[in-house]
Amino acid sequence: MNRWQRLSALNLMRHRRRTLLTGSIVVVGFVAVTMTAGFVSQTFSSLRKATIRGTGGHLKLVDPQAFGKTDDEAAGILLTNWPEIDQVVRKDPRVIQAMPKLQFFGLVSKGEKSAAYLGTGTVPALEKQVSLTTDAIASGTFFENPEGDEVMLGTGLARAIGATAGDLVTVMTTTPEGGLNAQDATVVAVMQYPIKELDDRLLYMPYNVAARLLSAEGKASSVVVLLRGDDVDDVDRAGKDIGAALKASGHPVVVRTWLETAAFYKQVRMLYISIFFFMGLVLSTVVILAVANTMTMSVFERTREIGTLLALGMERGTVRRLFVFEGFLLALVGCVVGTILSLLLREALNASGIMLPPPPGGTKGNLLHVDFIPSAYGIGFAVMSVTLLLASLWPARRASRLNPVEALSHV
Amino acid sequence: MRSVPILRAVLLSAQGLTRTYRLGTQMVTGISEASLSLDAGEFAVLAGPSGSGKTTLLNCLGLLDTPDSGTLVFEGRDVSGLSDKERARVRRERLGFVFQNSQLIPVLTAEENVSLALWIREYSDAESKSRAREALAAVGLGGMEDRKPDALSGGQRQRVAVARAIVGKPALILADEPTASLDSETSRKLLDLFDALHTKLGVTFLFSSHDPRMIERAARRIDLLDGKIVSDRIVREAA
Repeated sequence: MNRWQRLSALNLMRHRRRTLLTGSIVVVGFVAVTMTAGFVSQTFSSLRKATIRGTGGHLKLVDPQAFGKTDDEAAGILLTNWPEIDQVVRKDPRVIQAMPKLQFFGLVSKGEKSAAYLGTGTVPALEKQVSLTTDAIASGTFFENPEGDEVMLGTGLARAIGATAGDLVTVMTTTPEGGLNAQDATVVAVMQYPIKELDDRLLYMPYNVAARLLSAEGKASSVVVLLRGDDVDDVDRAGKDIGAALKASGHPVVVRTWLETAAFYKQVRMLYISIFFFMGLVLSTVVILAVANTMTMSVFERTREIGTLLALGMERGTVRRLFVFEGFLLALVGCVVGTILSLLLREALNASGIMLPPPPGGTKGNLLHVDFIPSAYGIGFAVMSVTLLLASLWPARRASRLNPVEALSHV
Repeated sequence: MRSVPILRAVLLSAQGLTRTYRLGTQMVTGISEASLSLDAGEFAVLAGPSGSGKTTLLNCLGLLDTPDSGTLVFEGRDVSGLSDKERARVRRERLGFVFQNSQLIPVLTAEENVSLALWIREYSDAESKSRAREALAAVGLGGMEDRKPDALSGGQRQRVAVARAIVGKPALILADEPTASLDSETSRKLLDLFDALHTKLGVTFLFSSHDPRMIERAARRIDLLDGKIVSDRIVREAA
């Protein structure tokens, strides 16, 4: 610290209570930024996991002809011979599992009551490992028999036809060729899906049973691939590699990553970022006003001293820097104290065992956990430094532009 | 009117300085057509009642204020039209100031307050410290280096201000009513100090006062009234 910086520090210490109050605003601002970043990061992470689980994996492989088409249009366009696709995909060490899915729709009936459904044929054992539905069982048990004539229904759909776990229902659909087919199945579980529109239509059926119902054995609407890591770049890279490997083996597919299909995730993320940005803006404004007020009072009170410094021949730039450095010093000390406080608060909250409601689109609440985001601490420091520099610029400029004669006679 | 010692070099020469300023809606004349010349080594006083223009003239001569008209030559250089930056440089390198209320920085010690004048000139810490201690010793404040202004008496604070003015070895020290806030005994001691510094170190002093006891201590007396120099005379032979 040079002599002028030391003078700035001494001047800050002059009105301890005022400096403490202004500093505490900086501390609160910094803690708010870092804690919110940690909380939002954890929320994003939960939401990402929930989204990936909702899709069943990180990659979705579809027939090139089905790409870009609506569900109705794509319903009849299936990947053929998915076991071969499965073999190629599984060779990649980044892959945990690949799972065929059949998408179909039709009517489900119980007695006199019928309702439209959106059906998914899936492999129970694989689905159980990844899907959100395991957390969403409201009654009954998750289906386990790959050959069982069983279905799981969304609560809305079950209510619509008056079905409960253990009831027998009839599932009707049209095959890709246009034929009508039906299958009796037992409701083994009712699931509470977080999105009501889906909950009112959701139906799960073992893949093999659905394949028979659709006359689509060995075929799949899509193959969902679960990878070992969630990193967006890694997922992109794996998608490209798997797509290339499948093309080379004579199975051209279109590979879409979970992020490409996760419009909801992207919307929620943007919403959170907007809230975070707005909150930061409000915080910065509060800090700017508080610090500018303190610095302006300081300049006013020290007008005669500033006059003395100017009379002694101090450069106006040096006077300006004295005040700007006071602002920076406040930011520095505030951020150091804020870091300590933030880390302690984070530990306390993470150890508190507070349960949070499910993230948007999720079914299961999470334990409150605030992530440690080093970059948030860096950004917090940068934001506070810039904010305080901005806040001290005007008072500093005012001080440096004082007329020494007027300043010396200031009362 | 006045006689100037012939052998001394002219340090400062002002010709026709006029300074008016606005007071509410009225324009007030601070000084009008003030002309004077000051030689190196002089011990002069600007005398006159309050409002006579002493401070305005001192501010103009000390390059703290800019006259509306007139010329000012300092050390042979016309400084009337200097930029703000250049005026600041002349002030820090060639002038020393003693203000009415000492104007010390309260968060700094006596030694640091004196060093301030050297810090502004970018002296090293060691050099500043050593010269500040010498200056404090010269004004009789040896041993009080670490005291802050609030731990010093009014007279001691003014001495620190004097030490701050002399530490940079300026060509001229300007003191505006330096004894105004002091009792008569302390004032006398401060003038003794001015006298001693002038005699021993050959420092050129120009101070303002309206106190007859202080005015009589000066070797040259310049009287002002209503912004005009009304008399300028040598009252005793300077050392």
